[in-house]
Amino acid sequence: MTSGDPVVITENLTKQYGEFTAVDNLSLTVRRGQILGFIGPNGAGKTTAISILVGLSRPTSGSASIAGADCSRDAQKIKKLVGYMPDVFGSYDNMRVTEYLDFFGAAYGINRLPRRKRIAEVLEITNATWMQDRFVESLSHGMKQRVGIARTLLHNPEVLILDEPANGLDPSARIEMRKILLRLSDAGKTLIVTSHILPELSRICNVVAMITHGKLRAFGTLDEIMATVTQERTVEIQLSGVERLDTATKLVKEFTAGANAVSPSGTEQMVRFRTTRSEDDLGGLLAQLVCAGIPVTQFREVPADLEDAFLSVTGREISATDNRDSDLGPERDSMAAEAPT
Amino acid sequence: MRTILERELLSLFRSRRAFAIQLAVALVCTLLIALRWPEGAQVDLAGSRAREVFVLFGYTLLTALVLMVPAFPASSIVRERQQRTLVLLIHSPLSAPTIYFGKLMATLGFVLVLVALSIPGAAACHAMGGISFDQQLLPLYGILILLAVQLGALGLWISSRSRSSDAALRVTYGCVLVLVVFTTVPDMFLQGNESNLAAIAGKLRFVSPVPAIMEVLGHTAVGQRGMTWQSGAPKYYVLFATLTIVACTIATIRQLSFRMFDEPRSQGVLTEERSGIQQLIRRFLFVVDPNRRKSQIGPLTNPVMVKEFRSRQFGRLHWLLRLVAGCALVSLLLTLATTQISGDWGVETIGGIIVVMQVALIALITPGLAGGLISGEHESGSWQLLRLTTMSPGVILRGKLLSVTWTMLLILCATLPGYLVMIWINPLVTKQVQQVVICLFLTAVFSILLSITVSSCFRRSAPATATSYALLMIVCVGTLLFWIGRDAPFGPDLVEWALRINPMAAALSVIRTPGFGGYRLVPHNWWIIGSASVLLLVIVMIRVRILIRPD
Repeated sequence: MTSGDPVVITENLTKQYGEFTAVDNLSLTVRRGQILGFIGPNGAGKTTAISILVGLSRPTSGSASIAGADCSRDAQKIKKLVGYMPDVFGSYDNMRVTEYLDFFGAAYGINRLPRRKRIAEVLEITNATWMQDRFVESLSHGMKQRVGIARTLLHNPEVLILDEPANGLDPSARIEMRKILLRLSDAGKTLIVTSHILPELSRICNVVAMITHGKLRAFGTLDEIMATVTQERTVEIQLSGVERLDTATKLVKEFTAGANAVSPSGTEQMVRFRTTRSEDDLGGLLAQLVCAGIPVTQFREVPADLEDAFLSVTGREISATDNRDSDLGPERDSMAAEAPT
Repeated sequence: MRTILERELLSLFRSRRAFAIQLAVALVCTLLIALRWPEGAQVDLAGSRAREVFVLFGYTLLTALVLMVPAFPASSIVRERQQRTLVLLIHSPLSAPTIYFGKLMATLGFVLVLVALSIPGAAACHAMGGISFDQQLLPLYGILILLAVQLGALGLWISSRSRSSDAALRVTYGCVLVLVVFTTVPDMFLQGNESNLAAIAGKLRFVSPVPAIMEVLGHTAVGQRGMTWQSGAPKYYVLFATLTIVACTIATIRQLSFRMFDEPRSQGVLTEERSGIQQLIRRFLFVVDPNRRKSQIGPLTNPVMVKEFRSRQFGRLHWLLRLVAGCALVSLLLTLATTQISGDWGVETIGGIIVVMQVALIALITPGLAGGLISGEHESGSWQLLRLTTMSPGVILRGKLLSVTWTMLLILCATLPGYLVMIWINPLVTKQVQQVVICLFLTAVFSILLSITVSSCFRRSAPATATSYALLMIVCVGTLLFWIGRDAPFGPDLVEWALRINPMAAALSVIRTPGFGGYRLVPHNWWIIGSASVLLLVIVMIRVRILIRPD
């Protein structure tokens, strides 16, 4: 298999628990060497989708395959192809790091001599050699995460699926983790990484999949996502004082025609708002503010990032859900149907 | 205190386990009364029927309390510690005594509900006549409630010093077994003797609530010989229980502070990194040093078995060696002591002691070892990791079973020297000893399979271990309730039928221990225990297969 070949493919992947649909027609493709950022709010269906990919769960319909092996039919092949690090570490008491890795190496059927070599290698890759004689339960969270990645690498899998690897890590450990993941990608591994720390993900991911309520809302490179998802732009108007803040806010509200999108801040002497209107319209607003005698010192658009894209998707989704839950009837239902797909 | 009490009681009463326990107690009490309620218009003026029921009623309540109460306090503090809510409690304005008494009162509240469920039964006994309210009923309930407080205080103290729920349960049930059963054993075999040891044994039995309950129930004949019966057991027990409660309370309250969390993480220094003298001392102390660098798992070794041995606190080789050496020593000393002290004892009595000790050892160790084998993996999240490996369900189960089987086999073998001494004293008992060994082997197999099957049905090791203990106790101790009521209210057929389930009773009948010699329990017991073991093996194999396969 060469670089760029599709490795992970899901087609109309659906998982239902009774009436509840955890994953709904999920279709995506991840190519060799890519790092996929799999993001979504809590309960969006990320872990369920991952469970299907690693063979821990069976889909209700649709299919998922990794390097040609069907995730539900070729369980043994999948186990060899995939290294999975769940969000729970899964430690054993009274075991040192080398004993812990030795057990999992033996459990994956790696012979004695290559196993010893492999343990040294994975500890080296994850910069964990110095902790090899420490008891696993005595390690800090960041250290455990490194041992967790070392464990997933033991059988040299083609695809690594990491559930929240940066969760709970301090800044230096997070930077270290980022380096490890990029190193693995350079080594030709395909990575699927879930995280809530979106700036972290945006620094390492080639492709991003956003999922809410089990449905894939956006999928593609970061630039593609920004272009398709973030139709709204965030604009900040910096004032030289707070005296005219109310007037400025009133004008911006009239311009956006939506009070919720405007947030004035007295401490920052700033009005921040989100809008879908064009640059010409924004120019008109600036002129209006200046004509009204408002002391504008800066009028700038905040560059959109993954967080904006995520909020854009989940924000609409949440409002759509709220609408469905309310008693306003078909009008609100039609708004819910407009959520981006 | 009310805050803690409300929270503890609510979470306790919301659990299905609590509901099942209450239902079981209510059902057993109802059945006991229904069994001996006067039929037709005939009334037993002497009240013998009522007394028969009352005796059984008292023992049932005692068994229920001993089996069920320790599980709740034993996991109470350690569970909070694991869930990190204990640090929040200690950091709150609530004082350590408030937290402690809140938890103790919650346990007591649950016991009071159990006791309340038994009150209609007690009232029925009283209504049947022959039972004194102030001489029997009130003292019985008084001792039972005191026992509950004692077990609660003991459980909370052990819980405050433990690192895991299953370890707390293991130690608590071990202490309860020593407190309730083991303290009465020396006197049972030494009574009638004039030695100082016999006098000490006579006093030691008052530590247990059993003699006190027996005296209150007017059922002092069990296990007693001749005229050596000493009265005043309730008084001594009340004194000892009060002292235990006070000591455990002070120790637990002192423990409930930030000191519990103020400890450094283990740096895991290897023996190889220590000085030569330290290495030498450690070699002498440990024989097999646990802190030496381990060799890799061999190609023909089951990795799960090695993992179980290495990750278990008492599974490591140095502990196993100590346990085996201890068992061998106790077995020989016991044989030596009983033959020296009481020359008129036959091998039957000596064999009886060894059998009881061995079964107690099996009943104590096996649920602790096997109760958390699968549920513990669920609890720590490592079961998911096992599912991801290329190991088959068979390899995983085999590894887990082997890890317990080897331990139990070594322990059982270590207790065999006592039998060799018996065969040396009386070669005619060779066949009996062989049959006893078969009984013990089956007991071990059954208890291992029962515990691991229970473990496969739970997601947390504490309830799995507690359930395993309870089920094993029902089989090994619960069925003895029928033996206690062997003359009345239970007929000989029913008693024999009940004892056939009990592997300890089978071993005692084989060795012709007084009280059991008249029953023919072998080979029926072997068939029952063997079939049950096969059934449990099939169930656990199916369970593991289900747990391994995709959801």
